[in-house]
Amino acid sequence: MRLRLAASRLLALFRKRRLDSELEGEIRAHLEMAERDAAAAGLSPKEARREARRAFGGIEQMKDHHRDERSVRWMENLWRDLRYGMAALAGDPGFAAVTVGLLALGIGANTAMFSIMDAVLLRPLPFPEPERMVRVWETPSATEHNNTTTLTFLDWKRQRDLYEALSVDEPLRAAVTAGGDPVRLSGRLVSADYFNVFGVKARIGRTFATGEDQAGATPVVVLSYSVWQTLFGGDPEVVKRNLAIDGEQHRVIGVLPKGCFDRDEARFWKPLIFAPNQMNRAQHLLQVIGRLRPGVSIEQARGKMNILRASLAGVIPQKDWGFTVDPFAQILVGDTLRRAIYLAFGAVLLVLLIACANVTNLVLAKGAMRRKEMAVRAALGAGRGRLMAQLLTENLVLCVLGGAAGMAVAYLLLHAATAWVVASLPFTADPSLDVRVLGFAAAAVMAVLILTGLFPSLQISFGKLSSALNQAARGSSDGSAVVRRTIVIGEVAVSVVLICGAALLFKSLATLQQVDAGVRIDHVITMTTDLPAAAYPTPESAVRFYDAVVERLRAAPGVEQASVSLDLPLQGVHWGEFINVPGAKEGLLVRVKMVDPWYFATLNIPVESGRGIEDRDRAGAPPVMVINQETARHLAGKFNLANPVGRVVISYLPGYGPIPESRRSLQIVGVIRNERTAGLNAPIEPVIYVPLAQNPRQDVKLVVCTQSGTAAAMPGIREAVRQVDPHLPLEDVMTMEQVRERSMLWATQPTWVAGAFACIAALMAALGLYGVLAHAVTQQRREIGIRMALGAQPGDVMSNTLRSALSMLLFGAAVGLAGAFALTRVLKSLLFQVSVLDPVALAVACLLMTLVGVLASWIPARRAAGVDPMTVLRDEG
Amino acid sequence: MSEQKTDVPYGTLDLLILKTLDTMGPMHGYRIARRIEQVAENLVRLNQGSIYPALIRLEEQGWIRTHWGISETKRKVKFYSLTRAGAKQLMVAVANWERATALVARFLGAES
Repeated sequence: MRLRLAASRLLALFRKRRLDSELEGEIRAHLEMAERDAAAAGLSPKEARREARRAFGGIEQMKDHHRDERSVRWMENLWRDLRYGMAALAGDPGFAAVTVGLLALGIGANTAMFSIMDAVLLRPLPFPEPERMVRVWETPSATEHNNTTTLTFLDWKRQRDLYEALSVDEPLRAAVTAGGDPVRLSGRLVSADYFNVFGVKARIGRTFATGEDQAGATPVVVLSYSVWQTLFGGDPEVVKRNLAIDGEQHRVIGVLPKGCFDRDEARFWKPLIFAPNQMNRAQHLLQVIGRLRPGVSIEQARGKMNILRASLAGVIPQKDWGFTVDPFAQILVGDTLRRAIYLAFGAVLLVLLIACANVTNLVLAKGAMRRKEMAVRAALGAGRGRLMAQLLTENLVLCVLGGAAGMAVAYLLLHAATAWVVASLPFTADPSLDVRVLGFAAAAVMAVLILTGLFPSLQISFGKLSSALNQAARGSSDGSAVVRRTIVIGEVAVSVVLICGAALLFKSLATLQQVDAGVRIDHVITMTTDLPAAAYPTPESAVRFYDAVVERLRAAPGVEQASVSLDLPLQGVHWGEFINVPGAKEGLLVRVKMVDPWYFATLNIPVESGRGIEDRDRAGAPPVMVINQETARHLAGKFNLANPVGRVVISYLPGYGPIPESRRSLQIVGVIRNERTAGLNAPIEPVIYVPLAQNPRQDVKLVVCTQSGTAAAMPGIREAVRQVDPHLPLEDVMTMEQVRERSMLWATQPTWVAGAFACIAALMAALGLYGVLAHAVTQQRREIGIRMALGAQPGDVMSNTLRSALSMLLFGAAVGLAGAFALTRVLKSLLFQVSVLDPVALAVACLLMTLVGVLASWIPARRAAGVDPMTVLRDEG
Repeated sequence: MSEQKTDVPYGTLDLLILKTLDTMGPMHGYRIARRIEQVAENLVRLNQGSIYPALIRLEEQGWIRTHWGISETKRKVKFYSLTRAGAKQLMVAVANWERATALVARFLGAES
């Protein structure tokens, strides 16, 4: 009803002119009828008119009254309160700055965090019906996922009742020419169905048609929006042009719409056409993504895939491998990132809560000073509702200002953090301040308004207003002091929870950093290069490059040792294969690294037995391999090969460029110490090392050990590579230190985010504590003065204040610890070898909070001790 | 004028209008004013014009609504009618009024 009244009055404001003229018409009709009735009663026309006017009463007076009735009084009130609120803020700029600053920080951090959460977790896939998008795997065990083979993929693809679209997805790097100089770009080899999986249509032209991934089809390519802009200058006729990929002409058939595909590293997509010799079930190379048919659930899909697996039992050689289907969003985002984002969002919400508590406390303190004003206004007839409305409106001014400043904070935070954060987000995520995020910010402002406004206005409006008039303004502590102390205890508790979480994460990070990578970290610089197929068409040409580049690099100034290898430590090994011991039924799944003879020396990996890779292990020489200790352990345990050196095992190894992989017999010539291949926290994997010269690759890493600073050696390194091949670009130049840092990003990012939030929370709680104590000291000056006059020493007074602070801190810490016990469990998956109840971390957290709190209470305590009893008592009169 | 006329008691005009619309159905402003005067048998002094502010107030509360009709003098005028909320409000107002008058009557009775 009230709403309706407000709405109709607001409407009336805009309809003023119409309502006025309507009223005019009504008056005229009224007078006419009155005149007619009077005339009918026998009056003369003149008398009838006068009688009608008389009976009607004062017309202008009535019109005024009419206008009053439909005026918008509540709006006038609102406006007056707003002006009053702004004037009050302007009159107390310190209060305004602190409250608006606190709210801006809280709301801004939350908005920025929500923007990331929205982009990554709430809308991870900006595609139609993303819940139908899946990744399909083979599963060597319950916890492992693996790529599949060509023939198995084709079996999956035949499940038409299950999948609307199914596509392979294989990364590719190639030299691309669109008429000008060749550039090396990332692309993807995909099935014709690929874009149907995403439900994406071309912006220009079309995406792949059925059959374009079959042998004999015309080579075609689809471009991303960004490469269309850079390479083709946005040419609208691009679909009539060709693109040479590694020298082979491909017809451009379409350009993708602008958007998320531009953040993917791939710039072009071409069909993957299976070669006849790929038609087997041995090479697990294919990553598969798909789109389920409408109405098919993940569980149903998994069930049907299990049935299919059972029916293929006779043809799939890996007996205990299964099939599974996972939601694509889950794979894309990953549990660690999901948890890290939830964690950060939870932490930032707590920070906002503390900011609100502080603002509430400030408003309460201010309210205590305004009780008299409110009491006077109530005595003069202002209703409680009216007073509450005024206080809420004043708060609204605070919150809206805080919210507006918060948007600026969010914008700055997002821009500052983008470079840092986006690297660990999936390509589909685009955190930005869009409508949804603005909506969230508005909701946050409303929530803050209610949190910070309702309590103080209730306190002021329903407190005994009459007693406020009688009470001396400098009276002893009142009820609101208890409330304010409770709020501070709450703040301390929430901060302790955050600090505990951060302390656990920091301890975990420190533990992680202690882990020995098993390789030399200092003075090592690494870079990626990619031998173009046109310049290095044969295995021999690639090997000639490896030899030349190592020789040149070692001659470069400041370089101690150099090597070429596939994959770096800590970054994972891409190649996985089975090795089979002759006579044994089962194989052992190992990671395969191709390294040159200097790899172990450059990275300080000692040979434990036998020998490492040597210069004589070249094409034509007997194929050899070196294994790590973990492989040796598995061979000893599984196959009883206690002394593996000298034994021959069988495996499949990839060929150079388009040459398919082939079966080889490899002699184990040595065992080296384990290096961490997959990350500091990942378990040690069984790895085999084969000579790069016997198994050359195009996508290789250069690893250089320098004598002193890595930066100083870099120009020489570049020059050395230029002398071998002036056109070869060097990418991803990173020191081993950086490689190591990057491998820990999953742990460092949430740790620093939680640490930053914990710091802010602790400072805010300390500020709250300071505020309450300072207020209490001001209010109790008289009491303190009397006690000092009666003989209390400044030290007593000071310790009294500090004791009061300490009691709040300890109580808050106790509550916070209980909260930490309950809440830090969510950290479990982010912690490395640290218990969620680690006593040292929890103790340090409590100690830190107490220390910060005691420091904050030092100033008011000093001021209490500095009270001069004479001044205070005289002042009191 | 020799008759003893009093003003419409403060706050009762709304009630009179609602009751009038309840018994008589939709009617325009002049008819409402005349009807109140007739029922009051000229006991109250009503400035006929004062019903218009009351009418807009009742309309904004949602207790009455308007539609356009033709007056006896063939003019387009607003006709007012009671809404459901208005009917409910009338019951509340009548009850309140009866309680108030009963209270006053009791006091007056005790005093004499």
